[in-house]
Amino acid sequence: MFKLLTLEIALTIGIFVIFLLDLFLQRETKKILGYLSFLLLIIVLGISMSKSIYGTAFSGTFVSDSFAVTMKQIFLIATGLAVLGSISHTEKKLKGREGEYYLLLLFSLLGMMITVSSRELLLLLVGFELMSIPLYVLSGFDKENPRSVEGALKIFMFGTVSSALLLLGIGIFFAATGTTSWLAEQPLIGLNDPLGNLALIILLAGFGFKIASFPFQFWVPDTYEGAPTPFVAFLSVAPKIAGFGILFRFFFEALEPLASTWTIYIIWLSALTMIVGNLLALPQRNIKRLLAYSGIAHIGYILLGLASGSKFGLEMSVFYFVAYLFSNMGAFFVAEVVHRATGSDDLDSYSRLYRRSPFLSLAMLVFLLSLGGIPFVIGFWAKLYIFLAAAEAGYIFIVFLGALLTVVALSYYLNIARKMYIEEGIKETSRISIPIDLKISIGISTLAVIVLGLYPKGVVWLAVKAISNFQ
Amino acid sequence: MTSETLPILSLITLSPFIGAVILLLQPERWYLPIRLTALSFSIISFLGSIIATLYYDSELGGFQFNEYIPIVQSLGIGYHLGADGISIVLILLTSFILIAGVFASWTIPFRSKEFYILLLLLVTGVFGVFVSLDLFLFFLFYELAVLPMYLLIGIWGSSTKIVAKGPFARAIMDMGLGSKEYGAMKLTLYLLFGSAFILVAILGLYSFSGLKTFDYIALEGVILPSSVQNWLFLLLYVGFGSLAGVWPIHTWSPDGHAAAPTATSMMHAGVLMKLGAYGIIRLGMGLFPDAAQTLAPMIGTIAVINIVYGALGAMWQRDLKYVVAYSSVSHMGIVMLGAATLNEMGLNGSVLQMFSHGIMTGLLFALVGLIYEKAHSREILQMGGFAKRMPGIATFFAIGALTSLGLPGLSGFVAELLVFLGAWKSSHSWWLIPAVFGAFITAVYALRVLKWIFFGTEKEPEINHKENPNGLKDAIGVEWIAPIILSAVLIVVGLYPKPLLKLMDASVIDLLQRVLK
Repeated sequence: MFKLLTLEIALTIGIFVIFLLDLFLQRETKKILGYLSFLLLIIVLGISMSKSIYGTAFSGTFVSDSFAVTMKQIFLIATGLAVLGSISHTEKKLKGREGEYYLLLLFSLLGMMITVSSRELLLLLVGFELMSIPLYVLSGFDKENPRSVEGALKIFMFGTVSSALLLLGIGIFFAATGTTSWLAEQPLIGLNDPLGNLALIILLAGFGFKIASFPFQFWVPDTYEGAPTPFVAFLSVAPKIAGFGILFRFFFEALEPLASTWTIYIIWLSALTMIVGNLLALPQRNIKRLLAYSGIAHIGYILLGLASGSKFGLEMSVFYFVAYLFSNMGAFFVAEVVHRATGSDDLDSYSRLYRRSPFLSLAMLVFLLSLGGIPFVIGFWAKLYIFLAAAEAGYIFIVFLGALLTVVALSYYLNIARKMYIEEGIKETSRISIPIDLKISIGISTLAVIVLGLYPKGVVWLAVKAISNFQ
Repeated sequence: MTSETLPILSLITLSPFIGAVILLLQPERWYLPIRLTALSFSIISFLGSIIATLYYDSELGGFQFNEYIPIVQSLGIGYHLGADGISIVLILLTSFILIAGVFASWTIPFRSKEFYILLLLLVTGVFGVFVSLDLFLFFLFYELAVLPMYLLIGIWGSSTKIVAKGPFARAIMDMGLGSKEYGAMKLTLYLLFGSAFILVAILGLYSFSGLKTFDYIALEGVILPSSVQNWLFLLLYVGFGSLAGVWPIHTWSPDGHAAAPTATSMMHAGVLMKLGAYGIIRLGMGLFPDAAQTLAPMIGTIAVINIVYGALGAMWQRDLKYVVAYSSVSHMGIVMLGAATLNEMGLNGSVLQMFSHGIMTGLLFALVGLIYEKAHSREILQMGGFAKRMPGIATFFAIGALTSLGLPGLSGFVAELLVFLGAWKSSHSWWLIPAVFGAFITAVYALRVLKWIFFGTEKEPEINHKENPNGLKDAIGVEWIAPIILSAVLIVVGLYPKPLLKLMDASVIDLLQRVLK
């Protein structure tokens, strides 16, 4: 039974080792904690390749199937990149607090790993809280910066409300079905069950906060703007993918009979999220806020995959996760480097970037093209596959809307490209030096975006494997 | 034969791409090697397209030189190339313009390595679109052809000063009308907007056909219900129409072309706009034959609006580049009109007009670029009597302008004549009247520009005295090559169009049989 929990147990042991080391290490030597965390994540990722971790435990409430394992691998990669990209940041700005920073990241990761494995709402809630609370703390980690505190307060408020909503939803679900788990094959909720439908809506709202879909997206830009950038790279990707992981499992396993109802909700959510994210990104002048809104738009696209209500749609959403992970995290890492060089997140600090650092501007261009969905980088395939799934499900008008909004998105992505490559005026020509850790993480992301863009088959295979255990 | 042993279409398509990769490895300061690399890979494509033209069996017709490699089998995506007569003609056009474009940008002043890389990437996309028989691949290449344009115009383009009048003057000035950034952004957004329509149409076809394949040949066999066909055809028409400069979504074209550097304008007006028309003919008419028949009256009517509107627009302009850009809008109307006639003569004329207009507009943009380099101005009214100072440029400009107005003996005449005869024979013979009227206005503005700039009293733009004390001179050295190649093609095709017509005839008849059944 404990074999199935190997990943979680290994991670927990690692967390405690780092915790103890943090207590005993000198202030100057604490930076090795970052490398240790990274090493730990690599080890856990290695363990996840093992074939013996599949099965169900605790009378079926904890499940380790190919979906859970693939999602965990995605979380591990995202956290690994975030840890790697944080090393010089923590060393410079968070001297002496490195231990806390990495521990919180790892705890959040542990929470995510539990949520995607649970088939029981209470276990799910525990995992959900374990994932969320460290995020509140980390958002306000830059204590001197009032914006950071403001952002932390916002995510905390929204997060607690969403937890309360989840609890309420779980209560109503229990009232409707008499159970908090969905183990058996037989349907739990009938199509016309009013309580069941209510539970569905409230739970959807609860998860909606986490994935930041419309109308629960208000915390996103402010929190991103204030929080430490390498952490934002993590926040913008991993918890959202985790939220989707829960949605997929819960909707496809527990609420399958209600599919005709929830696909309609989700299609609306998806359309509105795409519209709001893309349109509000247009006037932004701050790179982190711009990426925040564009991230919201991407959530809308992923929801489209879920809304198509087919296995194919889910597969394509998993593909999108991978694309979004590398492109978005990469873009935030570039933002971190530019912030450190110019002291500002303003879009104007990207003027003539290609003169100051050709590598950085090329990497940023690749990420922006991928986020915009331009051929030969992975983001293109992601968008295309999602549209394909939605078109197969008959949502041709939403596909149309999504495709038009892609053009809106490209106008703000290209605006950055224009500043980097075309704009003249600012005479600043000092070269930007990139810290080695960020160089590696940006390099990895760029390489992933390009290589997977040229060879998307591998990710498709991974996505198909991940979804293979859904009916 | 060669078609079985040599992957000729891949060679044509990928050689510019390989050239771009090799350029990437060269340092910026290698002046000559950069240009020679670009040139040699263009020549490989050029030779490839000549071989393809010679070996294409026009008696047999249909798609030849097929290449197929499956990519994602579960989704039915494959690397499927093939070319019929229409594609071959357009490939030939592209390679002529490519060679001329490489020479026309020989003297580009800065960041020339990146310029050539982007130019070669763009051409890879264009060749790819003309030869792909997989809709997915088609779309990929289409995007590749559209995107480098943004950087090409944004970095190397030129801005004009436009003084706005009227109540919205402030707003118009704030938008940066006339600046290269404005032109580049407008062009890119219009074209991406179009590609969104195309993507939806392709995905719609994929899901409605139920075949789970993107293969053109397989999809050709599917006959969808006519209402679906109409919708998908309209999506394609808007999508490709925005690239082909169809009224009223042509407005990017004058701004974009005027802002673009010489080789980019040549490539864009000469080849990319044809890509739009090709898309409508190949995908629209080929895959949705019933819709093409139903909607032909609309397409033809919009096409004659294009002809007249573009010609009037060109007559109104005082900026030389805008004149040529508006004339492209007008000539693309003739292309679309030929397609809408749905008869052999008209469609042959349409494809020939694509070729002829491509070469002609390439020539004109190359010459405008030269004139700008010498005179530092594009204001028609500030120039005059240039024929004495630059007789060579004047001669070539006259050839271009005369092709534009359809003088017999030049290729424009054959194409326009075929389209007009086709329009007369079609069920909407009234199209002929506005079309001929448009051709008449073309003659007015083409001759007027010729008179103002090259003949009449000698004038020189004021700015020129300061920046260019040596005065105006004729073209020198490499500058000659592009005009010579292009005008030679115009004359040869004008005098003896038969080989080109024979090349595409069988494919045109095939296509028409599908549409008319």
